[in-house]
Amino acid sequence: MIQHLSLNIEETAAVILFGVGFTILLLHRNLIKKIMGMNIMDTATYLFLASKGYITGRAVPIVADGVQEVSAYINPVPSGLVLTGIVVSVSTTALMLSLTIRLYERYHSLDLDEILILAKEEEQT
Amino acid sequence: MSFVQNFPFFSIILAMFSGIVSSVLPGKKARNLSLLMIAVTTALSAGTLFFCLRTGESYTYMMGHFPAPWGNEIRAGILEGATAVFFGVVMFLAVLGGLDHTAEDVEEKKLNLFYIMIDLMLSSLLALVYTNDLFTAYVFVEINTIAGCGLIMIRQKGRSMSAAIRYMIMSQLGSGLFLIGLSILYDITGHLLMSPAKESVAALAAAGDYRIPMLVIMAVIGVGLAIKSGLYPFHYWIPDTYGYATPTASAVLSGLVSKGYIFLLIKIFYRVLGYDNLVSSQMVNVLYVFGITGMVMGSLHAIHETDTRRMTAYSSVAQIGYIYMGIGLGTQPGMVAAVFHIFTHSATKALLFISAVGLYEASGDKKDYISLRGAGYRNPLAGIGFTVGSLSMVGFPMLSGFISKLLFATSALESPHKMLPTLIVLAVSTTLNAVYFLRLVITLYSRRRPEDAPISEVKVRSSWHLRLAILCFIAVNLVLGMSSQPIVQAITDGLAMFG
Amino acid sequence: MEGNMILLLPMLCPIAAGIVVLAGKVFRKNRKYLTGLSVMVLVLEFALALWAVMSGGGLTMLRLTDQLSLGLHADGVSRLFAMLTASVWLLVGIYSVAYMSHEEEEHRFFGYYLIAVGVLMGLNFSANLITLYVFYELMTLTSLPLVLHERSKEAVRAGLKYLFYSVAGAFLALFGIFFLAGVSESLTFTAGGVLNDGALAGKEGVFLISAFCMILGFGAKAGMFPLHGWLPTAHPVAPACASAVLSGLITKAGVLAIIRVVYYVIGADRLRGTWVQNAWILLTLLTVFMGSMLAYKEPVMKKRLAYSTVSQVSYVLFGLSMLNQTAFVGALSHVVFHSVIKNVLFLTAGAVIVTTGWTRVEQMRGLGQVMPKTLACYTAAALALIGIPPASGFVSKWYLASGALSSGTGVWAWAGPAVLLVSALLTAGYLLPLTIQGFFPGHDFKGEEIQKRKLTGKEPSIWMLAPIAALAAAALLFGCFPGSLISMLQSIAASVL
Repeated sequence: MIQHLSLNIEETAAVILFGVGFTILLLHRNLIKKIMGMNIMDTATYLFLASKGYITGRAVPIVADGVQEVSAYINPVPSGLVLTGIVVSVSTTALMLSLTIRLYERYHSLDLDEILILAKEEEQT
Repeated sequence: MSFVQNFPFFSIILAMFSGIVSSVLPGKKARNLSLLMIAVTTALSAGTLFFCLRTGESYTYMMGHFPAPWGNEIRAGILEGATAVFFGVVMFLAVLGGLDHTAEDVEEKKLNLFYIMIDLMLSSLLALVYTNDLFTAYVFVEINTIAGCGLIMIRQKGRSMSAAIRYMIMSQLGSGLFLIGLSILYDITGHLLMSPAKESVAALAAAGDYRIPMLVIMAVIGVGLAIKSGLYPFHYWIPDTYGYATPTASAVLSGLVSKGYIFLLIKIFYRVLGYDNLVSSQMVNVLYVFGITGMVMGSLHAIHETDTRRMTAYSSVAQIGYIYMGIGLGTQPGMVAAVFHIFTHSATKALLFISAVGLYEASGDKKDYISLRGAGYRNPLAGIGFTVGSLSMVGFPMLSGFISKLLFATSALESPHKMLPTLIVLAVSTTLNAVYFLRLVITLYSRRRPEDAPISEVKVRSSWHLRLAILCFIAVNLVLGMSSQPIVQAITDGLAMFG
Repeated sequence: MEGNMILLLPMLCPIAAGIVVLAGKVFRKNRKYLTGLSVMVLVLEFALALWAVMSGGGLTMLRLTDQLSLGLHADGVSRLFAMLTASVWLLVGIYSVAYMSHEEEEHRFFGYYLIAVGVLMGLNFSANLITLYVFYELMTLTSLPLVLHERSKEAVRAGLKYLFYSVAGAFLALFGIFFLAGVSESLTFTAGGVLNDGALAGKEGVFLISAFCMILGFGAKAGMFPLHGWLPTAHPVAPACASAVLSGLITKAGVLAIIRVVYYVIGADRLRGTWVQNAWILLTLLTVFMGSMLAYKEPVMKKRLAYSTVSQVSYVLFGLSMLNQTAFVGALSHVVFHSVIKNVLFLTAGAVIVTTGWTRVEQMRGLGQVMPKTLACYTAAALALIGIPPASGFVSKWYLASGALSSGTGVWAWAGPAVLLVSALLTAGYLLPLTIQGFFPGHDFKGEEIQKRKLTGKEPSIWMLAPIAALAAAALLFGCFPGSLISMLQSIAASVL
């Protein structure tokens, strides 16, 4: 078991990080930390993908020196996926941060539970 | 290749470009462009649907220059076409019905932003319906989430913003799980396109390899999309989100967005993971249990609500439970019933949210039971619309809800272990639905009491677009309820094409 | 749309007229137009019902799915219920013209009164279970305004109670319909049942549960224990003419639904000797006894009559639960007789309220001095309900009892008639005091109130008295000459059993 895990050290790390990020996003009350958790979660997935695409001893998939064989390069698709994923993650992070700023300006708090209570009170008055 | 086969691609791109163009347009023009775009894409989807019905086959459409196992593909069949048409119609009517409220709730300068979000939303929904590539699905799931969040937070009230951030958090949890599921799937099969991935999965299942990772994939993708569609234990974000957004956004979010994810889930079940593998892995039973729990608990929450919009939102939780129960039955008829209920619930819930607008207008924009007393007399058409919607949700014959329930019940008869719980929960949940919906309908038609606070501003006559939208939604409901046979047939054929 | 279009007329005509009455401003202002139109439509309705009954045949209105359709037909049971509904509705309609002049918002009452009869006709002529269910729900919704008429807090509460009991009952039944739709070729009513043995194999347990749910659910409308609670609340708050039809006819819709389910969809043979039959018999007997007891103790006249309805409608259900021909004939004849009699009783109570304002039985001492003719009609009907020969109640109870004795249901075969007998005594106990106190108030009764208010000999107007008298005469005459009715019922019974 331990042997399996240490053989696939990147995947193990990725899954652990994913769990950490997921838990923070789900359970932490502070909005900024939630966003951090989300980023950890996404990054863990990229680590997973990147490690899957990497083949030891091969080069970056950019054709250089006229070498055309497939066997010379690593799998380019996961790298592409990671890039796309980063774009998505940046945009969601930006959106969440902007929302957080709005909420902080309004309620002077980053605690989600507190914000929800304040918002409820605000509506009732 | 026939020209019609380009239509799915055209409709996605058209929706996306109108979003981009709208960013430099003033609000009113953005609105008109959006309405026009929705109408055109719906027509394009209808073209696709008729093409597939005529040929009786589905087709794949290559995006870019790389052929099958590497490139990106769109796939269109009867079910995709029908769903796209239906989403288009509901979207159009929801936007039309909510026009006035959108203009009131959204600042003048930001009005075009709202319609950009609507455009992006439709484009991502269409992409989710048509795509044949898992990673594309992930990207559009995220676009959908961002657009949905935008639709909620555009109403600059404290509660809608806190609702938006909650929605965002829950959605991120869901899409994170979805993404890791995809990654593991890609790791095992080496494919992101649905068709080759399915072949690899089938080969692995036949050889008996990677059983546990496959189980993890099913669980992670299933739970991820279940969170995003608001299945019962993951439903916390629903009442706030639907309850405090502007009416169009509520109608679109509850009627379409959650359904888009469920459609994607069904598609992945059929086209990638293999429905038989799913049934043998007990995953469907988990969904089934969540589904029937949701059916009862959603209704119980709804009974306790005094704010009628939150009540309607909680009713969505129950209805999502119905859909997952149908999926969880693990039979072909159960799946047909689930897909039919996707249609039913989209049409009915959008009708409820939109006609509620008319009732709130007639009650000084208050949303509690007491203020709504007698609103059915003050705005008769909205009252009729809400009554029809309620009766359909309750399962009154000749309306779409009845056919859904009938399909669920008859499909339950085919799975011996789930027959009794399904029938009992159907009966219980129907009765609970009746309790809160009919209570509200009676309230709408009872006389105001002298001790009730006077209504500050009564708008007696709604605008023509609201009335038109309500009438059209009622018509859609009647069509689904009275001539369901061809639709059910189309769903059955479409699912058969999923293979 | 294919088949005999005449069947649509008794349904559509009053519904259209009702909508016109509700929408037309002229009917709000001018009472003559309103009542004139209503009575004319009711007379026409009677003629149309007769026409539809004579022409017979069937009609398919709409196909919901391949298996399910909405359709009408006229068979023996439809004919019986349709003619009963049309004639009683007409007579009560004439009565309401006089009665409702004391109430507000008459147009609303007459509008819904007309719509309700149209829906009830649709129910009577339904050709399959889905159609029946549609009209059953519609009937709940359209008869609700009759209960809500007063708009008082009490009325609204009673209306909600009525709605929830009916809707909950209907959904219990819907659960059964969903099950039956899966194990039958179609849900079209066919004497002897339509279930498919092959599809039913292995599902007997669920089948019996769903059959019981349907009996229980439709039993809510018929006031069967445990879903009887709405009846004594809802009937007394409605105007007397509305409570008369609610009690006399709308409760019978529940009976009709049960007849259709048990004898025309499931088939009596499938229930004979099962726990469902035993539980059903037990519930009906409980209801019969409990209703009579509560009526006996109830001081408010209309409530007492409502409890009496609870008990009497369960006589009918008891007859149906015996699952044999004689008891079936008894049950159907009791449907007719009880409708007629209960209408007389409620209309009398209404006449007393309008003339004197008395609602409690002890106030009505010396009523014979005020309205002897009305009280005589009441007495005739009361005797008929108790079952004193030769009045009509005797005939139906005779068939019920002899059917029960020969039913071969073990202990129920003799326990049933015993309960019926006790309940008949209680019926005498709760109905006759009014007659005795009314005609013979005793020496110490001075009748000060009657003299002070100059009530002596103040009969209700002829428009109220005539329907009461006609119905009371019918209650007596049916008992003297039951031959043709019984032979018709026997032919129906022979076809289903």
